[in-house]
Amino acid sequence: MANENLSVWTSIPFWRRSAAWVTGFASILLIWLTFDTLGQISMGNDADLKAGTTKRVPGPTVINYKITYEMSKKRGHEVPVIGEKEAFFGKSDYSEKEARALLHLGKLTSQAKNCMDCHTLLGNGAYYAPDLTKAWIDPAWSKTGPMMAMTGKSTREEAMAEFLMHPSTYPTHARMMPELGITAEEAKGLVAFLKHMSSIDTNGFPRNFGKEEGSTNAQ
Amino acid sequence: MIEPLTDVVPSFFAMLNQGPLTLTIFLHTIIILPMFWIYKQEKKRLEEQK
Repeated sequence: MANENLSVWTSIPFWRRSAAWVTGFASILLIWLTFDTLGQISMGNDADLKAGTTKRVPGPTVINYKITYEMSKKRGHEVPVIGEKEAFFGKSDYSEKEARALLHLGKLTSQAKNCMDCHTLLGNGAYYAPDLTKAWIDPAWSKTGPMMAMTGKSTREEAMAEFLMHPSTYPTHARMMPELGITAEEAKGLVAFLKHMSSIDTNGFPRNFGKEEGSTNAQ
Repeated sequence: MIEPLTDVVPSFFAMLNQGPLTLTIFLHTIIILPMFWIYKQEKKRLEEQK
């Protein structure tokens, strides 16, 4: 008779304490993860780039350098490699302040023109139009791709800027990009923004972006 | 047995990442084990009340 009606499962304090423990632990874990993430996403600076320190998000002056991807056996996916100096709109010595201002203009423009309405940036946005996370290294914009010839420009950044200013002039896709009234300066900012984004170490996301020459998973 | 750290930024969670299931198993373990203790305490309390 002693233990017949004794059930912990019907005891309200048991459930209350269990719920408090799980909720409390999850809250602490989320706060911990938030601070853990800050270290992963904090942007580097010019000194890091010059010293060759690997940062998940390189400093804004990364636009002065060539960005390629290399397969990393250790990590099991392609990782960004910041190479030698490379001219960006005819200049490869953007100061940290200039580069930051350019990226800021690009970011604001991407928000004002609502790129994410159709495109995906770092996993956020839509899949109506191509993913722009690694757009900078897309071979379509390289010397061998069609975009330079189509826009009549001789560099990747100029071709991209020209396309952004007059997208409906260049038929590239069944889903044509509309004219968004992007000015030359805004286009430059947007291309800088895209170049910087391509240099971010995204653990190999999105898959199959490594179409650029030299990529192990080239398709 | 312990895989070397592969993450760019070293952290506790990066060390824990030995495979797709390690985080899940670790979190379930540390969340569920104290619940046994809560269960036993409540059982004892109910028995004493009787």
